[in-house]
Amino acid sequence: MVILGHFCILIVSLGIFGAIKADDGYCGLSGKWMESLTLSRDILKSGFHRELVTLVECDPSWPEELQVLLVQKLPRGAYGDPYQLASLRQDTGLQVLLDTEVDLEAPAYESSGFSMFVYPTRDAQNPKILQTVVPIHGRYHRPSDSGQGWERIEIEPPRLLLRADGCEQLLPSGPHVLVDAPCSVHNLSLCKWLEIHLPQDQRHVSLEVPSG
Amino acid sequence: MHWIMSTVLRKWTLFTLAFFIRIVLVGFGVYQDKTMVVKYTDIDYHVFTDASRFITEGASPYRRATYRYTPLLAWILTPNIYVTPIFGKLLFVTVDVVSAYLMHGILQRRGMSCEEACSYCSLWLLNPLPMGVSSRGNAESLLAVLVLGTLSCLEQRHLVKAAFLYGLSVHMKIYPVTYALPFALSLRNLETADMSKTTAPLGRKVARLLLGFLNRDLLQFAVVAGGVFCGFTLLFYHMYGWEFLQETYLYHLTRRDIRHNFSPYFYMLYLTAESSWSLALGLAAFLPQLALLLLVSLAFYSDLALCCFLHTAIFVSFNKVCTSQYFLWYLCLLPLVLPRLMISVKQGLGLLLLWFTGQGIWLAPAYYLEFEGQNTFFPIWLAGLLFLLINTFILVQVISHYKQEDIKRCQKLD
Repeated sequence: MVILGHFCILIVSLGIFGAIKADDGYCGLSGKWMESLTLSRDILKSGFHRELVTLVECDPSWPEELQVLLVQKLPRGAYGDPYQLASLRQDTGLQVLLDTEVDLEAPAYESSGFSMFVYPTRDAQNPKILQTVVPIHGRYHRPSDSGQGWERIEIEPPRLLLRADGCEQLLPSGPHVLVDAPCSVHNLSLCKWLEIHLPQDQRHVSLEVPSG
Repeated sequence: MHWIMSTVLRKWTLFTLAFFIRIVLVGFGVYQDKTMVVKYTDIDYHVFTDASRFITEGASPYRRATYRYTPLLAWILTPNIYVTPIFGKLLFVTVDVVSAYLMHGILQRRGMSCEEACSYCSLWLLNPLPMGVSSRGNAESLLAVLVLGTLSCLEQRHLVKAAFLYGLSVHMKIYPVTYALPFALSLRNLETADMSKTTAPLGRKVARLLLGFLNRDLLQFAVVAGGVFCGFTLLFYHMYGWEFLQETYLYHLTRRDIRHNFSPYFYMLYLTAESSWSLALGLAAFLPQLALLLLVSLAFYSDLALCCFLHTAIFVSFNKVCTSQYFLWYLCLLPLVLPRLMISVKQGLGLLLLWFTGQGIWLAPAYYLEFEGQNTFFPIWLAGLLFLLINTFILVQVISHYKQEDIKRCQKLD
């Protein structure tokens, strides 16, 4: 699992495809569709047990076979519980894969960050929206000397990756970056994904946990 | 009303009813787990089951993170994988009822009528706490049955059986290890050890005291119990190596859990977690426990049920980590202590209320810390101290209202 994590972060190929013909991308993703894509995030609940909500919105005219992957890095101050996620996968179909084993009890200063691979599934009733709610937990922090009494844990924005089976080129034009990441939540094998950079979402969300 | 009571307190009715309620709870648990977001099953039960799954795959149970128990438990629970996932829960609730059966036997051998013994057993059989704990899949009831079995066998002088159960119970969870001293004191040869009448010099008294430990019964008990404990330890060390020792024993000995719990030491351990004093403080916290356990052993070894009850209550209250499931360790001995407690029902209920109030006062700031993100570390610590105070007060009440004549009579009979 750890090795896998290292692999995924490695950008294996940086393909710069020159201007290709017209707006007729192989898999139906037009430039216009790309512009309709937005990503927004929020953190619900309070205390040590939170819910990280990620919302991907786009024009509903996307191909059936298109898959979305959010690579969410968590800092050392927070973690996702693999056993809770496994139970949620059975109950609600939430698909999350972790890139490493997680110590559920260690304080922040004895932990390291890791990545979650979140595979949002499409809601049949509202094809415009892909929403995932992932439970995350704050770790205990070092007692503060200054008497501040709490610690802020910043959650950086996820990387948005797209892939469609049997489709080598998703976008009609423009430079784009292909990265390796797990094909699905079931399978540890790697696939090539197209990384999408969304200019509008650089806002960090954060949670605050008390420290003694 | 009276008719209902007398029917319920008939032995088989009571035990069948208690078992039936537990089975219903296990069934309800399956239903709730399937249909609701809030799960009935305890998280530990999933840990046990995952560890058992690793065993059935020929792997080490310690591949499951936070599995900190003997591999024996995961072995016992392999039918969770092969037969039905609720096997473990059925085992725990059955063992729960068997514990009460052992209590009943002990009480009856004290000369209590069947019905009266049942009324004390019902405090365990119809108590929602053990019912909930074992039907949610927590393994504490296994320890209850092993400890009660040990006491029951000791009382009947089945020393080999008692020693076997005792060795096994220390292997399952280390806390009964503290019972070794009262057990040894009660198995001592009293003729050589009795010092009260002699006016011999101190050196001689000490020599006699030590000589008293050298007798067949005690040696037999020590060899069998030690053999069972060491046998399991060697077997599992051979199978799973250092990880077994680390997770099953060393983790619990050196555990300094900095996350909030009932322990009076929690805040100090959190604040000093990274200081060079941390280890020394952790070990120093054993001293009050050690001193109290020594005193209680010397004072009450002649009544082993009371002695073990006090031992466990002190061990849990003064421990560096204290969570509510530990309370079950001494609650299973309460029905043996209560009959000799000379307090009114009103006083008893008062103490019970006080105990629950102590927990409630702790739970409120703990909730605000964990789920509301408010900085309540300090109030939690104060509530932990108050809870220790309450526990100490209750123990003092138990000791001072215990029917002393019985102890004296026992000593004379011995």
